[in-house]
Formats: sequence, structure tokens, C-alpha cells
Amino acid sequence: MIGLVLILIYPLGYSLWLAFHQWTLRTFRQGVPYVGLDNFTDLIQGEDFTGALATTGTFMFFAIVLEFVLGMGLALLLDQNLRGQRLFRSLILLPMMCTNVVIGLTWRLMYNYEYGVVNYFLNMVGIDSVAWVSDISVVMLSVILVDVWNTTSFVALLLLAGLQALPEEPFEAARIDGASAWQRFVHLTLPLLRPAILVALLWRVIDTFRIFDVIYLLTAGGPARKTETVSIYVYRYGFKLFDLGFAAAASYLMILIMLIMAIVLTTMIGRTSSD
Amino acid sequence: MHTPTLHRLSRSALYVLTLMAVIISVFPIFYLLLLSIKPAHLTFDPGTWIFEPTLANYEAVLEGGDFVKYMINSLTISFATMLVALALGTLAAYGFARFKFRGRFWLRMSMLIPQMLPPITIIVPLYVLFMNLDFLDTRHGMVIAYLTFTLPLATWMMTGFFEDVPVELEESAMVDGASRLGALLRVSLPIVAPGLAATAVLAFIYSWNEFLYAVILTGRESRTLPVTITSYMTNKAILWGRIAAAGSIVLIPVLAFAMLTQRYLVRGLAGGAVKG
Repeated sequence: MIGLVLILIYPLGYSLWLAFHQWTLRTFRQGVPYVGLDNFTDLIQGEDFTGALATTGTFMFFAIVLEFVLGMGLALLLDQNLRGQRLFRSLILLPMMCTNVVIGLTWRLMYNYEYGVVNYFLNMVGIDSVAWVSDISVVMLSVILVDVWNTTSFVALLLLAGLQALPEEPFEAARIDGASAWQRFVHLTLPLLRPAILVALLWRVIDTFRIFDVIYLLTAGGPARKTETVSIYVYRYGFKLFDLGFAAAASYLMILIMLIMAIVLTTMIGRTSSD
Repeated sequence: MHTPTLHRLSRSALYVLTLMAVIISVFPIFYLLLLSIKPAHLTFDPGTWIFEPTLANYEAVLEGGDFVKYMINSLTISFATMLVALALGTLAAYGFARFKFRGRFWLRMSMLIPQMLPPITIIVPLYVLFMNLDFLDTRHGMVIAYLTFTLPLATWMMTGFFEDVPVELEESAMVDGASRLGALLRVSLPIVAPGLAATAVLAFIYSWNEFLYAVILTGRESRTLPVTITSYMTNKAILWGRIAAAGSIVLIPVLAFAMLTQRYLVRGLAGGAVKG
């Protein structure tokens, strides 16, 4: 615990100090003046930060919805005891273990307009090539699809663990009472699966909120900052423009937002597991 | 008469769907491996699937620049991180699992906070701190940076595994004269060994895969492989063949480890949290 305090609390405290000071690579040797709330007011008034927040929000919403719909389907499929189940499960697990840098670059190549394999397949079935990463109206979808590829299996595996722990009796009873498969799913499976769903949701919210590497290597936040998430925004101010006081202020707002989301979700989890 | 046929039909439909999911999951990885052994003149030809494989890309990667040095960096940093995280994390987890105290649920949940923090928010202060301490571009600096997320991860996972060990086993060992530490080492630790292995694998993989800390906190000396891969994107061209070869070198051990421990990985990740 002491180690944890040292390696985490200290940097975070230091970051808070930074957030109220002006620290840039050009000027820090002449001293680090106290600037009060200036960094924060600049942040909120600047359009880029709110823009990055909106981008992150859009990305989170659509990615998570898709991942849960597909992940639920996948979990139900894997729960069917088909032959070769264990092999399928290990293969489906692979995307979530992959190195993010490699994922970002591989998809960047696959999305390439002229020689990408995605357009090659599309052309084969008679669809015109799409400029996946340079067309402003498509790029968000491209980024979301990569995240869905990357993490649907994570959602599916958590839900599957939940499915396999469900009691048999209520399902038997419902079948005898003549409930259809759909009714059983909506009125029994989903409510009983609530804890597993919430846990998976907590992790996906947190991971999509802080996403950096995959998007950075796929699009670098472009074109025209269309895919600049909050993490990429802080990176740009901190380590391209080297305005670390400003970046610290932005990361504090990030932590605040994350904590609120995490507290809401963990409280919900705590409530369902004590029921 | 109808039901069995229908049943068989829907059964095959399920198979088709599962296979589709498998193919979509595996295809990009397969494509990367395929590209890494493609001859240079076919790199920009997605339609060619059969060709004479070549190791030219691997040779270029291993011989050119400091790839091997950076590979050793990656191995050392990930391994050291794993060992420290495991040693400290196991002890902390044992405490969480065995001693009941007030606010345990919240304290345990708070162990998740470091894992939830966006890495970029920790890097900003770490960068300035490391600069003052002269830790920038050093391997021990990277180990410290990686402990910020591997230590909570190890504690979290191990707590779940320890909770599955019946307390009675340890108590009977202690009645027989073993100390608490002795009971932990000789009774509980062997039982949680598979979980320990999975935790080790995961801590290693997380450090091995990490990019954001590495790109900011390392330079010529302590650079790791994920950063090295991006160096094949030069101003003039993106060397896709080399990216594919280097990417495969990074990916293969990770995927092999993940396949070996997958059962425990899933449990560990879901583990404690699902039980609450």
C-alpha cells in the first residue's frame, strides 16, 4: 500500500500543483509561475477541449452499444455447447490480447484506399472503395469498427461467465409455463445477468474514455481533429506543444469525469451484489 | 417430423455464425503474418494470397538499427515489472482476502481506480518528476512507470484467487505449528499457482504491449518494441513489410501466452468483480 501511495498519489498530487502553474519547456528554467485557475478557464473556453470531449463521447456511445449487442450475441453463441467450443473461444479471445500499436497499424494498412484489403473485398462484391481514414464523414465509423473488433470478445467473455453461472430452475419453470425463447431472454436472462453486464459496462466505459494508441496510430486524431479523443488532446498539448501545466489541468478534468462515471457504475454494482 | 430438421438447420446456422465471428477475429492477425512473409513487390497487392514466402522482412528488421537492443529492453522491463508487481501484489492481495475489516468493499474497489486512470493523466506529472530525477529514458524509470498499473492489477487478480482458497486449510496448518507466512507459502500459494501464472502473464503482456508511457518516457536508450515499430513510419514512406515483420515478432509471444493461460485469464479479469 505504501508503495502504491508513492508511485501514484505523489505524481497525482504533483499534477495538481502543475495544473495551477505555467510550465512550458521553453520557460520552466526561468521559474514556474503560479497562474491560479487560468489553465482551467482556458480549457473550458477553448473549443478544442470541448470538441475532444464530444468526440470521445460519440466514440464511446456507439462503440459500447455495438460491442454489447454483438458481445451478447457472441456470448449466447458460445453458450450453445457446439463442438470445438474451446478452440473457438481461444481464437475469439485473440484480438483483445493484441498489442495496440500493432492493431492500429494493421488496420491502417487494411483501411488503405488504394491497396487496403478492406476495399479489395468491397470491390469484389461490387461496392466502391471507401476512404476509410481520410473521409471526414467515415473516419469515426472506421475507428469505432476497429474498437469493436478489438474488444467485443472481452464483453462476450464476461457475459459468458455470467451466463454460465445462471441458475437453471427459473428457466425450466418458464419453459413449462410456455414462455418463448425471446420472452425468457428479456424477462429472465437479462435481469439475472445484470451484475455481469454492469461489470463489463464499467470496464468498457473506462477503456473507451481513455483510448489513445489504437486511434493515434490509425488516424493520429485526424483528419481535421475529427477523431481527436481527450487522451490525444492532452498528448498534443503536453508532448507536442510542451505546455505541461495546461496538460495537467486537462488531465485533472479527465480524472474528475472518469471518477464520476466509475463511482456511479461501482455503486450500481455494489447494490446488485448486495441484493 | 419438422422439429429435428429445423433443429439441425438452426444448429448449422449457429455454426456458420460462430465461424464467421472466428474468421473476423483472426483475419487481421492472419493478414499481418501473411504480409510479413510476402515478397516486397507484392506488399501493395492485397489480392495475392499464394506466393513464395520470404524472410527478407525479418532479416531487414533484425539486422537494421537497434531492433535487438530494443527487444532486450522490452524483455527486461516487462520481466522486472512482472516480478515486482507479483511479489508486492500477492502480499497485498493476501491481506485483502484474509482480513475482514470495515469498508473492505470500497477499499477493494478503490484498488481499481489506478487501473481506471487514463494513462495520459499519470504521464504528465511523471514526465516532469522523471526529468527532475534524471529517470527519463532509463529502464528502471520504465519499470516504475509500469508498476502504476501492473501492481493494482496483480493485487486485484490475486485477491480473487486467494478468496477461493478455504481458510480452514490455512488454519489447520497453523494449528500444526506453521506461522502465517509459512501457511501462506506452503498451503495457499501452491493452490493459487495457476492464478499466479495467469497474473504473471497478464502483467508481462500489459508491460510488453504498452505504448503511451514508452513513447513519452523513453529515448534512444530505453526504447521498447512498440515504439520501435512506429519508427518504420518515416517521412518518406511507411515500410509496411518491416512493420508487419516487427509486429509479428511482438505479437507471437503474446498470443502464445494468452492461449496457454486463457482459462485463468478470463477468470482473473472477470473474477473478483463478478463476485463483487
